[in-house]
Amino acid sequence: MASVAVSAVEAPVVAEHRGFRQRWYRTPSFVAGASILGAIVVVAILAPVVTWHDPVEQNLVNLLQGPSWSHPLGTDDLGRDIWTRLVYGARTDLRIAVLAVLFPFVLGTTAGLIAGYFGGRTDTVANWLVSVVVAFPFYVLIIALVFALGPGTRNIFIAITIVGWVSYARIVRGEVLVAKRQEYVLAAHAGGLSSARIIGRHLLPNVITQAVVFAMSDIVLVILAIVTLGYLGLGVQPPTPDWGRMIADGQTYLTTHWWLSTIPGIAIVVTALGLSLLADGIADLLRPE
Amino acid sequence: MHTRRQASIAAVLVVFTIVAVVGLTAGAGTAVTPKRGGELRIARIEDSQSFDKTNVFQNESIWLTQQLMEQLYAVGRDGRTLKPWLATSHTVSNGGKRYTFRLREGVRFSNGQPMTAADVKFSLDDARAQSKGWGFLDIAIKNVQVRDPQTVVINLKYRWAPFLADIALFSNAIIPKDFAGEKRAEFYKHPVGTGPFMWDKRVVGQSVTFKRNPYYWQKGKPYLDSVTWSFVSDQNTRELQLRGGQIEIDEFPPFNSIKKLNNTPGITMRLFPSTRTDYLLMNESYAPLADRNVRRAISYAIDRKSIVRSVLFGFGKPANSFMPPQVPFYDPNAPGIQYSMAKARAELAKSEFPEGFKVDLQVGAGEQVDNAIGQILQQSLKKLGITVTFKQVDTSTAFANIQERKYQLGFSYWTMDIADPDELVTFAVDPKGGGADSFFTGYNNPAVVKLSQQAQREVNVAKRRALYKQIQRIAAEDAFMGFLYYSPFRYAFSKKVHGFVVYPLGNYHLEDVWLD
Amino acid sequence: MSLAGYAARRLLQMIPIALGVTLLVFFLIHLVPGDPARTMLGTRATPERIALLHEEWGLDEPLPVQYWRFLSRLVHGDLGASLFYSVPAGRLVMERLPVTLWLIGLGTLLSVAIAVPLATLAAAKRDRPTDHVVRAVPLVGLGFPSFWIGIMLLLAFALNSGRAFPVGGYGEGFLGHLHAMFLPALTVALAISPILIRSLRASLLEVLESDYVATARSKGLPERRVLIRHGLRNAVISMVTVLGVNIGFLVGGTLVVEQVFALPGVGQLMINSIFQRDFPVVQAVTLAFTIMVVLVYLTTDIIHAALDPRVRFD
Repeated sequence: MASVAVSAVEAPVVAEHRGFRQRWYRTPSFVAGASILGAIVVVAILAPVVTWHDPVEQNLVNLLQGPSWSHPLGTDDLGRDIWTRLVYGARTDLRIAVLAVLFPFVLGTTAGLIAGYFGGRTDTVANWLVSVVVAFPFYVLIIALVFALGPGTRNIFIAITIVGWVSYARIVRGEVLVAKRQEYVLAAHAGGLSSARIIGRHLLPNVITQAVVFAMSDIVLVILAIVTLGYLGLGVQPPTPDWGRMIADGQTYLTTHWWLSTIPGIAIVVTALGLSLLADGIADLLRPE
Repeated sequence: MHTRRQASIAAVLVVFTIVAVVGLTAGAGTAVTPKRGGELRIARIEDSQSFDKTNVFQNESIWLTQQLMEQLYAVGRDGRTLKPWLATSHTVSNGGKRYTFRLREGVRFSNGQPMTAADVKFSLDDARAQSKGWGFLDIAIKNVQVRDPQTVVINLKYRWAPFLADIALFSNAIIPKDFAGEKRAEFYKHPVGTGPFMWDKRVVGQSVTFKRNPYYWQKGKPYLDSVTWSFVSDQNTRELQLRGGQIEIDEFPPFNSIKKLNNTPGITMRLFPSTRTDYLLMNESYAPLADRNVRRAISYAIDRKSIVRSVLFGFGKPANSFMPPQVPFYDPNAPGIQYSMAKARAELAKSEFPEGFKVDLQVGAGEQVDNAIGQILQQSLKKLGITVTFKQVDTSTAFANIQERKYQLGFSYWTMDIADPDELVTFAVDPKGGGADSFFTGYNNPAVVKLSQQAQREVNVAKRRALYKQIQRIAAEDAFMGFLYYSPFRYAFSKKVHGFVVYPLGNYHLEDVWLD
Repeated sequence: MSLAGYAARRLLQMIPIALGVTLLVFFLIHLVPGDPARTMLGTRATPERIALLHEEWGLDEPLPVQYWRFLSRLVHGDLGASLFYSVPAGRLVMERLPVTLWLIGLGTLLSVAIAVPLATLAAAKRDRPTDHVVRAVPLVGLGFPSFWIGIMLLLAFALNSGRAFPVGGYGEGFLGHLHAMFLPALTVALAISPILIRSLRASLLEVLESDYVATARSKGLPERRVLIRHGLRNAVISMVTVLGVNIGFLVGGTLVVEQVFALPGVGQLMINSIFQRDFPVVQAVTLAFTIMVVLVYLTTDIIHAALDPRVRFD
């Protein structure tokens, strides 16, 4: 199953690195995506500057208020300022999403490299493992893991890592299978370079690009998984602001105060937009001219 | 002269006729006659687990079994008085240890068989034998005897004040003897009883349907042809189904929808007084919580009025006792601790942990109200130096943790099963007697335990009241739990539905319901 | 290696995978804290009652023994009975399967119907405003969780404007099902189409700019023919792969949509049985899902292999 590479491209990719540095500012998708994402990250970093309320401070007399000068996006069901929680939520979610993609990325890429390069027994076992995890219904696994490990952000990382590494492994392995038959690899091998050197120096930079592209969209998927966990009540623990939590908390109010769930949803959409554009941009850049 | 007199008589006659006609038509308009027929559709938050009334603990199962099977005595609308139902009267003798019940004539099961004392004996013996079920409530019974086809005698081992309330428990409802010729497990998949409805069909995880019992003893009832309960877990979907006319009754809409539903044309929102009480559990296995002053401090820090106003949207009442107002012997003057940050600080200062401490609060995932209250509590306790860490777990794990005493702070609630305080009081303050370690807190005050056991055997009403008053006072002062609030049962239903009333124990009598 | 041989080998590989999955789920669900006995008994659980239930359910035996029992029953086609409903777990799953299949099938169909024209449009007008709009707008379906989209669709189409669709539920009869499943399937389609559009567009672009097409173009073949003949073929290949991944994700991912639209599907069964720790049902559901996912991947692999001769060496 994992023998099918996700991308049907097979081309020498060594030349692309030079092109990347020279072309990025001329690629509209990349620029747009980077700008949007950059804006979000900057706002998140500057949270204390752009907000003037405490994200966890409740005001039980002032619940569910509409927009006002003090509260540009209104207040939530416990009287907390929505704009503030949105911005601090960006911090929480971006941090979680990046980490929850980084670990599987590293783990999966390593596994894919090893399995793809060495083949044989290692590959068969790795294949079996990947297939088992892939065949497993995603949410069953995540939920069971979160149950087993207990609540908390750290356990969400662990659960997502255990489930998420397979996609990267598959992609990288596919790329490695194609790349290892390339001239330059065969030459390096014949030249007596160690496996580690070949993998690290020659294969890695070339196979990693697809994984990076996937990682961009994976960030969105991770944010969504956390939102779904929030709907089921298993996400980030209160009072830490988090978009998934805000959406889940607002669910009861969908027919009365629909903006509680909608505003964080819009934030996710914008983030997804930025990431998609970035991913497209990178893919565009990496495609040979 | 003649003409004027005739004229006045005519005038009077005319007026009289007008008044009569108006009176009659007005009377015909206000005399509301129930209409027969129709299907009632109810959407609810959980699916029924089982219809074995003697072994099931889930409300959503219990309320349905009560449409199929009925008891000798039933709880009235006030949640307190017991009315003769399948029995018409009873006498007490032998120093309070013998109850003789006279059965109602002409009662038949839905399979056409007449109900006799032999069926009653069989049903009660079967219920009593369920040691993993509700049998514990019948332990005072020594034996059940058939005196004649219309008379049943029940002998008790000792005087037992809650006995009549126990007999009115749904588990003690009457079924045909020998399970109408089926095996027990088969029988309870589609039980037969004397209730207004009989079994029709079920799609597991989706819906349950009952249809009219043609042999029902209350003549003319039930009005409805059938009732269907469907399982719709998403509250927004239930609401939309109600507004769209796909269902007639929406069970437990969220508190924030109440006002809006009330103002929706064609829909009525009703809040029925209930026996539901919500608590903050404090596990005394965790050292700071074993300290009485700490518990009192925490209780003082709970702003119940604020919680009722902002989380329940005003549809509830701060609790002053662990017993709800509908239960007999509830004391409205019980000194349950109410909000005061000053007193909270004072209590904490007197305790062994004046600087505060760290504590975990366990909340069931998806429990929106508990989650909101938990966050409010987190903020209030922070001011006392108590740092609360949220531990949101799925409901099954939450249950398990609480019952295994693997939690520190947690939420729970109670709804009464019988119209007598005994079941709750024993469960809550008697660690061994209730078998639950005092509602899983480990609270053990020998004085209160003794009072509770006394009250079980005390048949004099005035004396019992005094005992329960004392129990409530001590429990409040010990603050063994944080008594949070009393809340009503919330139902939204179409204006086409008439006669739908939910009793304080949560059950409803669908034989009284009719549709336009 | 022939196509048939490839297919046969893949099929055989399915067995150890399915076994691996059952092992994993078995131990996982038992490692998770919480106890079905406690869920059933609620506040009235006592150690004695719990022990009695455990004995009745065979849960008091050591795990390896329980797993062995499960396997030996499985060989006879017996998946055990639901702890809560006392009906065979296999039967529960089979009853619910059609609903979920409807949802996945109709959802995939709708997503393809949305994605293909939009992706083609975006690829044809690359980097122009149309392209950006086409790629940005569907992200709404991705960014908003399904319960939000579901409720909004219900509010818009089932309640307010003319009651065009029922509010949740499965309906009766084929047309009834179609009618009732439209909105839920749309919700699903909206969630997966952004990914589909992007990858379809990417592969269309790749093909359009590949040497193969450049050569064809230089030979003077008409533009449209080039696009359709060669672009679409490769596009289909990549779409099949992406669809496969998506469907695999959908299996078990429809639970939120099922909850919102009150659909008695396998996803809802799964989530409820996990929450209640109804072990036999969790196992049965996982097995069913696994088989579905494996079949889907198998099918996409075979289609891919049939269409693209490059991919067969392994």
